[in-house]
Amino acid sequence: MAYQVYRAYQVITGTRDRDVASASLDRADAASAARGDARAFERIYARHVARIHSLARRMIGPEDADDATQEIFVRAWTRIATFRGDAAFGTWLHRLAINVLLGRRASLATHRDRFIEADAAIASAPARPASTDLRMDFETAIERLPSGARQVLVLHDVEGYKHEEIAGMLGISTGTSKSQLHRARMALRAHLDR
Amino acid sequence: MHDPWADRLSEYLDDELSPAERAALEAHLGSCPDCAATLADLERVFARAASLDDRPPERDLWPAIAARISAPAAPRVIELATRIPAPPRRFSFTAGQLVAAALALVFMSGGAVWLLRQPPAPHAAAGPVPAGPVAGTSFVSSTWNGYDAAIADLERVLDLHRERLDSATIRVLEENLRIIDAAIDEARRALEADPANSYLNGHLVNSMQRKLDLLRRVAALASVAT
Repeated sequence: MAYQVYRAYQVITGTRDRDVASASLDRADAASAARGDARAFERIYARHVARIHSLARRMIGPEDADDATQEIFVRAWTRIATFRGDAAFGTWLHRLAINVLLGRRASLATHRDRFIEADAAIASAPARPASTDLRMDFETAIERLPSGARQVLVLHDVEGYKHEEIAGMLGISTGTSKSQLHRARMALRAHLDR
Repeated sequence: MHDPWADRLSEYLDDELSPAERAALEAHLGSCPDCAATLADLERVFARAASLDDRPPERDLWPAIAARISAPAAPRVIELATRIPAPPRRFSFTAGQLVAAALALVFMSGGAVWLLRQPPAPHAAAGPVPAGPVAGTSFVSSTWNGYDAAIADLERVLDLHRERLDSATIRVLEENLRIIDAAIDEARRALEADPANSYLNGHLVNSMQRKLDLLRRVAALASVAT
């Protein structure tokens, strides 16, 4: 079953630190950055910016992704001395990013009118693109999901968190997390089927 | 009529159902092509989401981050402030402390002059004094020559890249060189009268080493400055 293959992939790469050598470099650079070495922190930024920016884009949308990414790295710089090396640096940075992004949810939701019903949002997505653009269009479809469904889908299917963890992060029940995920998948399925 | 199993397909996909529920849903899938088709689509959605590639931002965000963490965006040029010695800290003293310091300076200066003017100790037990310089003096002389050559090389490098340095750096450099050169000249004059004096030899070596270090640092600064 394809699902099991991809689940195994996510479990194996759980922190998505795909490169062991990179994790080792992270550890050394994090220690230097904790002593004030901005060049070491710049190397950390270079290794992680794609992942963090993609997470931000999917969680809160492309309009705010740049600003959120900057805030995440500035926050990481101020707190890097608290990284103890118990987990991979990528995991530490990812959790910090999630906290920053979730902290921005409320303020973003108050001035956005993007959070409309899933079906209407997906219906307004571009017509089925050429096959080479399929992946980008899928990203667009994710961005147009209602915020709750989008965040659960990103955290579960893209980032590999469990419902119990997501429920804790978002302050919802595991039942709500499961239903939001199903709702998001169904909306994306409709989009893919067009 | 709504199929209640249709809402449980994601849970089935994520292995969140109890064994009994799972068995019941699998039995249902065998007789419900709609649910089977939906499940296949949900698998595709999950597979697509799990394999999304990360993309970097379209613009470089580092300069803004560097500015916010007070780090230079692209510190290609070494900051002069980090290379030039900081100005001496200003101290304040009471009148009593100043008097005590002045007296100490007088005694130390007088002692140094007295020591420098003392004739060499007689080598009563060692027999006649060799005509040439003592071995230690010869070593120090060759060391001076090495320093002179290294300093001359660095001065040539510095002259070559002098225009790359800003005026403040050159001013600080020249002031430090003036002080060090004065110390070197003073030590050399004293050594002409007393070539075997180990204190003066050490003082000269230290002064030349200071000059060498200073020139090395400034030459390195000039070579990376653009």
